[in-house]
Amino acid sequence: MTASKKIVLLGHFGVGKTSLIRRFVENTFSEDYQVTIGVHISKKTIEIPEQESISLIIWDLEGQDDLKKTRSSYLLGTNGFIYVFDSSRPLTFENLNSELKFLKENYPNVPVKVVGNKMDLVNKTYLAQYSSVFKPLVDFFVSAKTGSRIETLFSKLAKELI
Amino acid sequence: MLEPYKKKYHTNNFQYILVDDLGCVLETDNTLFTVQKDSLLQTIHPFFEILNSLLQIDNDCFEFSCINLNLEKKVVIVDTIIYSQNKNENLIIIENLTKHYNNYQLAAQTRNESIINSQILELKNEYLLEKETFKNNFIANFSHQLRNPITASIIFSDLLINSDLNTEQKNYLDIIQSANKDLKNRIEDILDISKIESGKLILTEKVFDLKKLLNDIVNGYKFLASKKGLDFNFVIDENIPEFIKGDQYRLKQIIGNLLNNAISFTTQGSVNFKIALNYIRAKKANLRIEVLDTGCGIASENLDYIFKRFSKIESENQNIKGSGLGLAIVKYLISEMQGNIKVESEINKGSKFICNLSFKLSDYNQILKEELLSKQLLGLEKKYHILLVEDSELIQLTILKILAATGNFFINIISKGEDLVPNIINQDVDLILLTNTIQNFSAMDLTASVRNLSKDYKKTPIIVLSTLAFKDDVKRFKQAGVNDIITKPFDEKKLLEKIYKYIK
Repeated sequence: MTASKKIVLLGHFGVGKTSLIRRFVENTFSEDYQVTIGVHISKKTIEIPEQESISLIIWDLEGQDDLKKTRSSYLLGTNGFIYVFDSSRPLTFENLNSELKFLKENYPNVPVKVVGNKMDLVNKTYLAQYSSVFKPLVDFFVSAKTGSRIETLFSKLAKELI
Repeated sequence: MLEPYKKKYHTNNFQYILVDDLGCVLETDNTLFTVQKDSLLQTIHPFFEILNSLLQIDNDCFEFSCINLNLEKKVVIVDTIIYSQNKNENLIIIENLTKHYNNYQLAAQTRNESIINSQILELKNEYLLEKETFKNNFIANFSHQLRNPITASIIFSDLLINSDLNTEQKNYLDIIQSANKDLKNRIEDILDISKIESGKLILTEKVFDLKKLLNDIVNGYKFLASKKGLDFNFVIDENIPEFIKGDQYRLKQIIGNLLNNAISFTTQGSVNFKIALNYIRAKKANLRIEVLDTGCGIASENLDYIFKRFSKIESENQNIKGSGLGLAIVKYLISEMQGNIKVESEINKGSKFICNLSFKLSDYNQILKEELLSKQLLGLEKKYHILLVEDSELIQLTILKILAATGNFFINIISKGEDLVPNIINQDVDLILLTNTIQNFSAMDLTASVRNLSKDYKKTPIIVLSTLAFKDDVKRFKQAGVNDIITKPFDEKKLLEKIYKYIK
């Protein structure tokens, strides 16, 4: 039987949470930004090599600059979090530490992956400039536009959920 | 009475669904979407997969607002309440609020886009500033690297012209000298632009002899115009003050660039230069400077464009020299001097540049006059000892040639910074020429090591031969105890003037 796991994507508005999911679920991308209000839920079943398949129920939450403002019902029964920020906009990762602290305190046993999206917009010099923030906290740098490392992100998280 | 209206206008936005503890539909009114009895609600939309965990909890209520449901090819945005009960009968109430949330979505879209755009704009500005700083530093450093070879090239060409050359060789040398001058001017222009863009171009304010400056300018450009077969006419208003306060070098640059342009773009006819006194008010003289040519002219649509950096208007004469920076520098300098410039032009008839500038008046200054005269001091009663600290062999040879030709100096040359102190202790030194590019030592450190020796060495004049030309650099040199700076590239006249100024 295929197990279902709820994954919630969090982060500021405009960081590309919806684009990241669309790339993963539909393998499509649009440059047009359309704000998400409330929550969109999609589903994708993936095969885990040498193991069972897993259905990921992906909750795409509307962007918030503070996790505390997120409707708590949305987070009920979450099996894994993906915290997304926009690598090219420092304001979207300036409070990363406190946001992760909030998740750890309130959802201590739920794995969290920290993801810098829009990797295609930044260069190595820029990354080096913020290395003190990125190095200790960020698990993946991805690009919804190019698709870079998105499959890896979800499959790695899925493995942790089994 | 109300019933007919209610029937007409009331919309039922609620759907009620009863499910068992596994999510199997027991009953529903299908108001918003159709669900088959006995089907699993989880199969309708992934949102309902949440029921798997919630329905295990008895007697609780869970509220979910603003859920986007893609159902049967229609999208509804709903609020949902799930009542889990302990009799294998759970109630789900779904309220359709699509219209309400769509209105909210529009407002949120506008707000978010505006915030994101302003953040992106801010970042872009930061990047542009960083790039600009990098570019300006690169230009400054690169131009410094060129200063030694250009200095040598200029000075040796000058020395060579006085040697025994045949006509053909003199013609070749003329070309080399002209190219040297051109190269020097372009480097100065690029450096000026980088100074302007990094905010490091600072105007000085010193008393100077305006009439002498104008005569020098006129003589120089008269010669240039005649070489091109052009008439050069000039009118200098007798009422202009003799001494004014301001940046002499930059005024010369403004007039020079305008005249250079006029001569470059005129193939026949004349170039006319006129300077007049507009008025004297509040101890300031306002001058009107006009440069008129009979050249190719500028199309009206290009009149604004000519003052932009690196702008060169397409012209039939593609051989016109210049970096395209001259007028940009002129415009900036005039604006920094609180003046104004305008241009009138007609294609194939010519152009007229008019600028108005104010300068503080200065009383006739006897000290200045003496200073100017002292600069022209040429004969000396004895020979002086010059210590040259320079690691570029090219510059060593250049300076040696110039000083030796005067017959007024003994010259001692060292290439290493560590040899400076032993040399001045063991030998007579009347003046030190010190490069700022010597390996392992800064000119500031070396100056300090001399000044710290004893009182005797505190007054030994030190002139730095500098590849650094920014105001801040000059300030740092002076603070370290340097008497004066000669910026590379320099020529024979500049070098000798400075040396004569400091030896007694």
